[in-house]
Amino acid sequence: MSPSVRFRLGRPAPLLCRWDLDKTYLHSEFDTLRQLWRTAWERAEDKVAVPGVPELIKAMKAAAERHGRQIATYFVSASPPQIGGAIRDKLALDGVPYDGITFKNQLEHLKRGKFRNLREHVGFKLGELLRGRRLAPPGAHELLFGDDWESDPLTYSLYADVLAGVMPAASLDVVLRRIGVDPRVVPELTALATELRPGVVDRIFINLARRTPPRALRVFGSRLVPTFNYFQTALVLSGMGYLDPVDVVGVADALVTRHGYTDRRLGYSLDDLVRRQLVTPHAARRAAMALRRAKLLAPGRPSPAVVRLRDWAQDLRARRRPLAPRTALDYGSVFERFPNLARARAAEGKS
Amino acid sequence: MPTIALDVPSIPNLEMVRAAARISVSTSIECLLVGDEGRIQAVLDELEYNPEQIGVLPGGLGTETALTIGLRAVARGDADAMVSAGNAHEYVTACSHTLGLLPGVRRPALAAVYPRQTEYPGQDRLALLLDAGATPRCGAPELVQYALMGAAYARRISKIAAPRIGLLAMGRDMVRHDEILASANAALAAHPALTYVGEVEGHELVRGRVDVIVCEGMVGGVVAGLMEGFTGALVDVARAPGEQRLVWRVGMRLFAEGLERVQALTDFGRYGGAPILGFDHVVIKCQARADVTALGNAIKLAAKAVRDGVPAAIAAALGGPAAP
Repeated sequence: MSPSVRFRLGRPAPLLCRWDLDKTYLHSEFDTLRQLWRTAWERAEDKVAVPGVPELIKAMKAAAERHGRQIATYFVSASPPQIGGAIRDKLALDGVPYDGITFKNQLEHLKRGKFRNLREHVGFKLGELLRGRRLAPPGAHELLFGDDWESDPLTYSLYADVLAGVMPAASLDVVLRRIGVDPRVVPELTALATELRPGVVDRIFINLARRTPPRALRVFGSRLVPTFNYFQTALVLSGMGYLDPVDVVGVADALVTRHGYTDRRLGYSLDDLVRRQLVTPHAARRAAMALRRAKLLAPGRPSPAVVRLRDWAQDLRARRRPLAPRTALDYGSVFERFPNLARARAAEGKS
Repeated sequence: MPTIALDVPSIPNLEMVRAAARISVSTSIECLLVGDEGRIQAVLDELEYNPEQIGVLPGGLGTETALTIGLRAVARGDADAMVSAGNAHEYVTACSHTLGLLPGVRRPALAAVYPRQTEYPGQDRLALLLDAGATPRCGAPELVQYALMGAAYARRISKIAAPRIGLLAMGRDMVRHDEILASANAALAAHPALTYVGEVEGHELVRGRVDVIVCEGMVGGVVAGLMEGFTGALVDVARAPGEQRLVWRVGMRLFAEGLERVQALTDFGRYGGAPILGFDHVVIKCQARADVTALGNAIKLAAKAVRDGVPAAIAAALGGPAAP
């Protein structure tokens, strides 16, 4: 929530953060069967977190506490529960505070012979998000974190539209069938969606693990923010008021000290966000000042006062812009841009 | 990792941006794109790229060219080398105003890299011709410096321990009768740090006898342009009969693979660009019609020259203190 909203309400709304695990939190490699096998048997200490992500989650918790905001962090993973022990140990090793974690019961699908469901994650994830929302404090805002590897942008957008109350059950039914969600699960999902009280997904953060060109994801609207590293994610969150500059410094410091980032690479990442208009120049300057004070960014030339004033006004305008869209996404365009997501249509075409 | 400044407007269709994007996801080289920020980002948005390795410096819209702004960034240490496809003369002039010449360097030289026959296994299939147009006219001392700079470059980049140097001329008579060439010939032969093989005639350029050929800029520019144009024309001439007769067309089909090999060998764009030697930083000149692959090679060449300390090696070869 932006500081201006916080000021109007007096007390900040609770925040619900939902994280995907593989490729979002963990550097999981399962492009080949061998890698998949290795991932399944990996111990906690062998698992590798994506640079900056543990620090970001910790910083979000710290910032929320600092501002008196209630925060809950959940992980939703399509991995089987059998690897849950190692994952929980890994999160404990990283010192990541979280409130719950859900896995996909792949063994159950295997036993029932639902082989298609092994690879279809939209139905599972959407169901978990909808169920999880029922337990959330009233009026909670949400931030969703995923990656560009499979279907997180689609799943999260569907959920955000349902939560915003702009996705009627009939439309959801059509989209889910087109995605190829198990037809037996679809009525349950639409029923869950109908029961849901409206809420807000402030942003969907997509970690560009596959380096998908940012323009390709524009079809998901401005609610979805593609970022190349968690320093960028922290900067956007700072621009939104969910983190303070000191928290951004913490994430940047972890990248520099543990992952070999340089001040130049941080600077380039920051500039990239400004060019993509994901943070305003004013917010970028505020973060840059804190980073320079911490000696994580090379000294820059000060901007003229008139430029600073213009940027500040632009920042104010950006904060007043409504966060949630008033209509649902055009999922036809999404399937046109990402035909692999519309499995049902592909199957129909083949038959 | 070296940071290479790229003069974006010097190549049409923002190909420089595409090359930088490709480099950013396939190497650890960092690129500083100088040009119109909005247009650069619009192209990046369509591509796979790593923003951690791509900086953008606004430039080229006002009175100062993107080239000058990029060279300034190199001079103040924001980048380690410059790559541009701008006009050679303007490039050298801009470098002279922005960067420093290495101590003792009288004139910078554009070193054209070109393919040649090899005489022994393991011999580099590329030779160096300098000056290829940076300084149209020069005297004997400059020719000797070109030889020293070219030899230092060949030692560092091509890893030739003792590069063989040749002086481009129209035969022994010319060397004997032309005052500058005679003086250069004597100085080169007497220089203890050079492996001088004597004068080299035009037909010997593409043989493997020498690794570095020195000549004045006017001649070098014409030679480099001629070789480049000739190979293009050769391919066109070879293809033309195929359009007239079916039998020839069939023959051309059979010959196609060989023709493509010749074309690949003589495609100057693939060699990445020509270094301008003599400045205290690495500067690379690309062809104006270079494609993404050629530009990518130019960026890699610039990074290699930075890593291998080419300016310092040249400074040492000329007997001066090391470059920054």
